[in-house]
Amino acid sequence: MHLAGQFVRRILQGVVVVLITTFLIFSILRIVPGDPVRLIVGGMAPDNLVEEIAQKMGLRDPIPVQFGRYLSQVVQGDLGNSYQRPKNGMMGQGGDFNANMDVEMAEVSDLILERLPYTLQLAGLALLISLIISFPLGISAGLKPKGFISKIAFFISSVFVSIPNFWLGIVLALFITIKLGLLPSIGYQNFAYTILPAIVLAVETCPFIIRTISVSFAEISQEYFIKSGKVRGLTRNGVIYRHTLRNASIPLLNLLGIQLSTLLGGVIVVEYIFDYPGLGQLTIYAVLQRDFPLIQGIAMVTSALYVGLNIAVDLITYSIDPRLES
Amino acid sequence: MTLDDSSISKKIFYDSWQNNFFKFSVIFFIFICLLAFIYPEISEIKAEKMNIKSKFLPPIFFEGFSWTHILGTDQLGRDMLMRCLVGLRFSLIIGFASVFIMLLFGCLVGIISGFKSSWVDVIIMRITDAQLSIPMVILAISILGVSRPNLASIILVLALSGWPLYARVSRSMALIERDKEYVRGARILGANDFRIIFFLVVPIILPPIAFVSVLDIARMMIFEAILGFLGLGVQPPTPTFGNIIADARKYLINAWWIATMPGVFLVITLVTLNYIGSTLEKSKNKIFGEGI
Repeated sequence: MHLAGQFVRRILQGVVVVLITTFLIFSILRIVPGDPVRLIVGGMAPDNLVEEIAQKMGLRDPIPVQFGRYLSQVVQGDLGNSYQRPKNGMMGQGGDFNANMDVEMAEVSDLILERLPYTLQLAGLALLISLIISFPLGISAGLKPKGFISKIAFFISSVFVSIPNFWLGIVLALFITIKLGLLPSIGYQNFAYTILPAIVLAVETCPFIIRTISVSFAEISQEYFIKSGKVRGLTRNGVIYRHTLRNASIPLLNLLGIQLSTLLGGVIVVEYIFDYPGLGQLTIYAVLQRDFPLIQGIAMVTSALYVGLNIAVDLITYSIDPRLES
Repeated sequence: MTLDDSSISKKIFYDSWQNNFFKFSVIFFIFICLLAFIYPEISEIKAEKMNIKSKFLPPIFFEGFSWTHILGTDQLGRDMLMRCLVGLRFSLIIGFASVFIMLLFGCLVGIISGFKSSWVDVIIMRITDAQLSIPMVILAISILGVSRPNLASIILVLALSGWPLYARVSRSMALIERDKEYVRGARILGANDFRIIFFLVVPIILPPIAFVSVLDIARMMIFEAILGFLGLGVQPPTPTFGNIIADARKYLINAWWIATMPGVFLVITLVTLNYIGSTLEKSKNKIFGEGI
């Protein structure tokens, strides 16, 4: 079948993309100065010891050799062990150089799976909030491009897109947590801790969603089959909900696919500010500690998510509008 | 498209200029830029000058303010207005320079990729896919996280993380231009690929993309602030929006203005820039259609 063939081709392409991403991150980490072994053994360790451990860990081999070894591990389902995080959750104290080497290190896949639900919860709530704000604004702006609400939507998008997420996070923490005491903001104990970070993320994504919705509504409402709805005796709202909404959801799904990495970028910064225990916070610390296996694992999972989501979006799109299949 | 490049640019700009709010934004933006680049040089107050006696002064109209420090002072008695202006200066330099580089590099790669349509094209497009699939932040902090970042390395890293989109857009435009009659005509007249790309196609593809890239300048300025906040921007004592806000988090409860004022400053500038950018984009869409 045509669709099945295309599906297989997309998946193969996706695998190639994930491989390239992993290789890029893998090489960048090793080309850029900054020795992870120095951070593992601590600043006081003699140079020859650093060199010896690096040799033992295989970090002095040529990059393609290291990458091949890493891939053969990954194929067996093993993402490797963290350089810095022990299994029992206690962080090592860099200074004493043989302390860390005896402790068993946490597996990267465990670390990622542990954090993933928190990030999904945050991203899901953020998406929900931004859809609630964007839908009414986007639809009315799209249907009446010269109307008052269209101007408001344009204004809100311009302002929202200009607000740096970390600053908004601090301002919200200042007013809502410190001055008003309404919502907690630092760390995570229960669901309430998700709300402020989610609002910050929603503000970041709103402009894109409003824009996409209004553009697609403006385009689709000009289409012949929508205009003919009036002739068929449907009310305006009937036409919007039965036909326009369904068709306008295609660009929205596409946007979600394309913007996933932007959304995740926002998640990284927001989680860092709010000290939210998700994947983003893990990423920042992994990078700053040069925890190679952990960074590689996160990059690979992220890029696989991106590729997978885009394929899924395409499949849903085809089922909504079969004309696009060709 | 049979228009030559100068008339496309003129048309887009002229169309936007009809909008009064656009005029105001452009003038205001130029004013802010001049302020950021000139005022810190001629003023007697210096951004790095500490004065412990006058630390934690609030902005004007709050209790205990001083007229010499309109936006107040920080934990070391440094003038907030000056620090914001110097921070804005770096933000503008980094925003404009990085977008300029990513625009040129991305478009060049994209156009060549679109014209060659061979294994070069396949490889370049898969690389852009790969780069678009991971957040820019990961890439940027992996590179900047180890060395002491300076102006040049930040600009390069931002340009590196932003080029794929330009490559893809210009490639898809190049694919359309490639089969047009004027290109075939030029080829029959004996023009080689180099001549066709640089003298015929680039002048047509670049201007509309350049207008839209104004929005990216604002995006890169935010990104610069994020890097600064993470400690990976231009290093202190040089003030940038990011490092001012990061340092001020400790004093949030007693001196709220140190963390919030730079943000207000940045947001006002970015709203202006974004308004200019999106008005230009609208005009471009009106003239060109929703091509890119």
